[in-house]
Amino acid sequence: MNRIQDNILNENQPDNMLREALGRNSPAAVELMWDRYANDLLTFLQAMLCSRHDAEDVLQTVFVRIARKRHRLARARCLDAYVYRIARNEASRLISRRKREQIAKVRTESWLMVTENNQELGDLVEQLQVALAHLPQPQREVIVLKIYRQKTFLEISRLLGLSQNTVASRYRYGMEKLRILLGNLT
Amino acid sequence: MNEKDLENDKIEHLLRRAHIPEPSPLLKERITTEARKVWNQTSLELPWQIPLRRLVASAAAAVFIISIANFSSYLALKKWRPGDVQATREQLPDLETLPEMLYSPFVRHLVSVNRRPSITDASALRDYAERVRQALQETQQNGASNEQVPNGGRSRLLPIQLSPDSYS
Repeated sequence: MNRIQDNILNENQPDNMLREALGRNSPAAVELMWDRYANDLLTFLQAMLCSRHDAEDVLQTVFVRIARKRHRLARARCLDAYVYRIARNEASRLISRRKREQIAKVRTESWLMVTENNQELGDLVEQLQVALAHLPQPQREVIVLKIYRQKTFLEISRLLGLSQNTVASRYRYGMEKLRILLGNLT
Repeated sequence: MNEKDLENDKIEHLLRRAHIPEPSPLLKERITTEARKVWNQTSLELPWQIPLRRLVASAAAAVFIISIANFSSYLALKKWRPGDVQATREQLPDLETLPEMLYSPFVRHLVSVNRRPSITDASALRDYAERVRQALQETQQNGASNEQVPNGGRSRLLPIQLSPDSYS
């Protein structure tokens, strides 16, 4: 029991530091926010938008919005969910603007990278990227966070404000579709 | 482990051969600088200001909605107000503008008499009486002169009845 309480305390420690910095109105909170969220958020945004360039732009908008609404963030019940909600809203806004302006987004922009410099692997990554782009957005988000950020279903459910079962089923359906799309590679 | 799980493992293995790059230091510099700039520009809102501002905004919205409702109600009832009826009378002082089909000349005359302002001034009343007297005299003179003209013994005020259906 004590170990569980310690875990909860350790998990909440960065939250407390961040809340304290936000409460003090210290600009150092921006650095803390970056260290804590930038990596995961950029991955999440790339999964939503299938574009590294757009994801970087939206990430900047998210940080600016956080800086502007920092008093709300400091009082948020769950910091992670609040930040991810802002990111999701901003990305959705960009997607709807794309639709409104009828910009046919060419999904050839590379947002997945190869670990080694290998031509064969380059082709594989391209196929993976195309297959991921064909998945419905909610399923793609879960798969990308699980595979590329090593998040558990519990963590993803907390970040996205969903139930663990929903996250697990989205992952399962997404993997089934990927199995069909990448059937020739497995 | 069933076949499906094995397939999933293979897919996961394939996916893990790629990776998503971390944000570059340049990107970090760009975004944190921008966020700090916004941070310094916006003042920190005090917690008690938020409900107060919401209250003010709600009150302003309520006042706006009520005034819109009042205005639309005023517009809807405008034609039923007594003041507006007087204005309508004043707009039609000229008898020529009256629709002819509704009024015979006699009724039009009555209407015009009713619509004229009442004579309260003594001199105006005297003038009016004088004008009436002159009119009567002229009528009498005309009557006297017309009596010399033969008209079949009938009064000139009544039209000649040509047939029993003439007045119908």
